[in-house]
Amino acid sequence: MSIVIVYLLLLKATATSFAGMGSLPQIRQDFVETYRFLSDDQLSQAVLVGRATPGPMGAYVVAVGYFAVGWPGAVAGWLAMISPALAAIPLLAAIQRWLHLARMRAAIDAVVIASAALLVAAGVRLLIDGSQQLVRLFLQT
Amino acid sequence: MKASTVTGGDDRPSIRQLAAAVAFDVNRTVGGGHASIELLRRTFTSRGWLDADAHGLIVAVSRLTPGTNILAYCVTLGWRYHGWPGALAALLAASIPASLIVFLLTATLAQIDRYAVVRGLLAVGVLAAGVLVLASAWALIKPYLGRSARVQALLIAAVALGLIALDATPVRVLLVAAVIGFLRPTGAARR
Repeated sequence: MSIVIVYLLLLKATATSFAGMGSLPQIRQDFVETYRFLSDDQLSQAVLVGRATPGPMGAYVVAVGYFAVGWPGAVAGWLAMISPALAAIPLLAAIQRWLHLARMRAAIDAVVIASAALLVAAGVRLLIDGSQQLVRLFLQT
Repeated sequence: MKASTVTGGDDRPSIRQLAAAVAFDVNRTVGGGHASIELLRRTFTSRGWLDADAHGLIVAVSRLTPGTNILAYCVTLGWRYHGWPGALAALLAASIPASLIVFLLTATLAQIDRYAVVRGLLAVGVLAAGVLVLASAWALIKPYLGRSARVQALLIAAVALGLIALDATPVRVLLVAAVIGFLRPTGAARR
């Protein structure tokens, strides 16, 4: 698996989300369901590590990259995490020019709300996964 | 566009001071960027580097930038003082320490998760992560639940959840939401 592919898939997820964990649904779809680079358990562990670590919550993509291809994947994850932030500077110019338009503001607000809905779906999935893991462990012991 | 477009405090930090302040404030909070942004605001305003108006504009830009909000905040903050070198310095200072910790923790987990006790603890942790993700969703949507914006927000959330139930990809969900917001702007604004 190419580190470039991992970077581009992670970048696709981070660049289309509007919060640190907002990239989770896209990452799950690409890395778990479509390409099977990692399991649901590994993705859950990545989320857990990211949320338990001080700093940006989006840093969990470093763990996703590591689980996919080892330390080069962690570097790819870090690059995918920081790349979208550079869009802030040209965005500042666009905001100052266009944000007074109600339709543009409403479209951006709608994207943020939809990100929250995507997070709800991802959070429920994590709760189900965690419950299933506990039940499996209980039955094994 | 010049860095001076975003005006603020009278003084400005050196790149080294900027990177040190960002690294310290961003990498000592757990639970998301909102707490980090508040720490940065306090640090930079107390030193006369930032005023309330500039902070408000930078927060708005960071909320609208794709990806992790706190990183966009740091980029805009750094760019304000030193242009692109400042933006890159702030971005590296905000992201490298946390990424190294995540890398080390992940590598350790990969070696120890063969043990049943560890798997049990991780399962409990996954449950906790699920609760935290739901809390993140609530934090995102809460500002839109004011009386004037509630109907629009609930409409968009309902459409998004419906699309998710139909297995639409996240990008498509976001695009459909953007189109709805663009075509039906009434009552969409926060605050």
